[in-house]
Amino acid sequence: MSSLAIKHGAINLGQGFPNFDGPDFVKQAAIQAINEGKNQYARGYGIPDFNAAIAERFKKDTGLVIDPEKEVTVTSGCTEAIAATMLGLINPGDEVILFAPFYDSYEATLSMAGADIKCITLRPPDFAVPLDELRSKISKKTRAILINTPHNPTGKMFTRDELNEIASLCIENDVLVFTDEVYDKLAFEMEHISMASLPGMFERTVTMNSLGKTFSLTGWKIGWAIAPPHLIWGVKQAHAFLTFATSTPMQWAATTALRAPDSYYEELKGDYLAKKQILEQGLKDVGFTVFPSSGTYFIVVDHTPFGLKNDIEFCEYLIKEVGVVAIPTSVFYLDPEEGKNLVRFTFCKDEGTLRSAVERMKEKLKRK
Amino acid sequence: MLKPPNSAVPNLSHRAIICNAINLAEGFPDFPAPHHIKAAGISAINSDFNQYRHVQGICDRLAEILRDTHGLEVDPLTDIAICCVIDPGDEVILFEPAFETYGGCISLAGGVPVYVALDPPYWTLDAKKLLNSFTNRTKALVLNSPHNPTGKVFTRDELEVIAGACRMNDCLAVTDEVYEYVTYDGIKHVSLASLAGMQERTIITSSLSKTFSVTGWRIGWAIAPALIASTIKNIHIRLTDSAPAPFQEAALTALTCQPPYFESLRQDYESKRDFLVKLLVGVGFRIRSKPQGSFFLFAELPENCLLSDVECVKKLIEEAGVVAVPGCGFFPSISCPSEDSHTVAGNQFNYQNRFIRFAFCKSDATLSSAALKLGEFMKAVGPLG
Repeated sequence: MSSLAIKHGAINLGQGFPNFDGPDFVKQAAIQAINEGKNQYARGYGIPDFNAAIAERFKKDTGLVIDPEKEVTVTSGCTEAIAATMLGLINPGDEVILFAPFYDSYEATLSMAGADIKCITLRPPDFAVPLDELRSKISKKTRAILINTPHNPTGKMFTRDELNEIASLCIENDVLVFTDEVYDKLAFEMEHISMASLPGMFERTVTMNSLGKTFSLTGWKIGWAIAPPHLIWGVKQAHAFLTFATSTPMQWAATTALRAPDSYYEELKGDYLAKKQILEQGLKDVGFTVFPSSGTYFIVVDHTPFGLKNDIEFCEYLIKEVGVVAIPTSVFYLDPEEGKNLVRFTFCKDEGTLRSAVERMKEKLKRK
Repeated sequence: MLKPPNSAVPNLSHRAIICNAINLAEGFPDFPAPHHIKAAGISAINSDFNQYRHVQGICDRLAEILRDTHGLEVDPLTDIAICCVIDPGDEVILFEPAFETYGGCISLAGGVPVYVALDPPYWTLDAKKLLNSFTNRTKALVLNSPHNPTGKVFTRDELEVIAGACRMNDCLAVTDEVYEYVTYDGIKHVSLASLAGMQERTIITSSLSKTFSVTGWRIGWAIAPALIASTIKNIHIRLTDSAPAPFQEAALTALTCQPPYFESLRQDYESKRDFLVKLLVGVGFRIRSKPQGSFFLFAELPENCLLSDVECVKKLIEEAGVVAVPGCGFFPSISCPSEDSHTVAGNQFNYQNRFIRFAFCKSDATLSSAALKLGEFMKAVGPLG
């Protein structure tokens, strides 16, 4: 898609990373670290001060008090936290429940770990968790369930009721929970809830997050996992053999970043909300069926009003004839058929880019 | 399942901190990285190279270097993946002593590490031993040259033996060449992939870390035939997705350094090596195999010394204020005794417990302090043994 996009000079609302850069105070902190000679191996599971900052932030967000030395592992991005969690805690043949659509590294790393994947599909319009199906698929044989909230690609946020229901099933069947919360600071329509903060859940949850989305520095690859010692052990062991240590100067900068005042997060949310409104209204005006997105910087829409056969064909048409890029969502499902009516747009772009994209689509996309 | 970490080492690290010991254990520099490389990293951050990236320029430059240095032709678009090939039950041959991570990675992939001992005191390759270690389950062989912990640089003859064995058994080779620019006495590093019939079956790995003193930047690469490279890329994308973006930009600057940079790197490390060799010989260590590459020295305890490597390191921490790494950790086929266990008389004299690894990637000030401390230790206690 990317090379096609470049060839046609298309506006890229497909790639899930900003076309603007991170805040100066964080970049300067990295530069300072480089100049101060912080360029050698960091401690494998994280620089002590960074681990402490992660623990402080987690307490602010969830109220939970954790031990930064025993309950935090720093990884090279949340992608590596996921890989380390799967490889460190899942044995071949273990049953793991996944919600589709899902970020592609979940399935890949579960396969590497030899897991037996049980998939539950979230469906439009609200992508609610089908609780009956969940109850039928979770059992004492289930080793873990993976939850991504706020959710890529749909923008769904798991509600307190949904999380409570999942929690009680996990406690009943002794199931672990792995949560990917990288978009937690981009929660617009409701408050983000960490599974680990529910009663009885911290002891069985690995909570994963990263710097990239919150601070628009996706290329720095700074992530982390938080879990009780008996679970962190597995993550730490796998991490030692995956990347061994994470970028040192960036960890120092991340320490500064995580101690940013509330005003930073408020401004971030405000900026993204404005962008969301431009894209959401724009997509509605163009004629897509737009599904409500509560969080992340993604919006998923139904493209079928425009008469293309499936999501891949629609995206190719969108690039070549309209000059805009979106992502076909079928790639996020075990069974691609389930995603063929949907495509994902992102609004992590400057407002000018978003408006231009909307204009192009208004001009050239016609409902059939 | 992954083996738990060596239990002796963390306790010694803790002791070393308490005793404020001079660190000749950790394999990373305590002097600054080159100014122009740091400046390149800083410039990249300021120029907004901070989102997910693939920097094709690095691949292009690596292809040039491989052609100019080893006579290898690689396609920078398909053969270079910036970060596998093991199926469960596959055997992978490794040379012992070995950097401890290789075994863990192989086990993580479901493979079986098979260790072939290099023969002390010169760590020579026994061709027969190597050939006998191949079975019909052997999938690959790992070669680290220049070698951590011994500093050995595999000779062309040895490389021919290894290449011949790989070709005969149709297996892959994975090379770790991170110390490729740190060689001494005019010895040139030869890449296994440059031997006949090897490019098609070799995965070359290396990094910026040791050459440019930026071990914390996490920039490395793998070079392999297109099919294997694309597999590596597929997996890499799902494990970490990309290396830190600003440092990839800085890598472009680093990889276009001219020969004088590498010459002065070599010279600096060579003089540190010579300083440390003299120092340790003075303390009583036997150094029959002087490092030909890397910045590690594998020093042998004197014959009449009754201590094991772990006990000796403990003594050096507590009484000399200098820390190094017990060699037993590099012999995964034996286990390191914990420092509190009673050593069985026979065990003390197995060669795997008779070596200590010193790192000399340290500033002249650090090495001089170490010399001072060891000098005082000698006066008080006498030479080891």
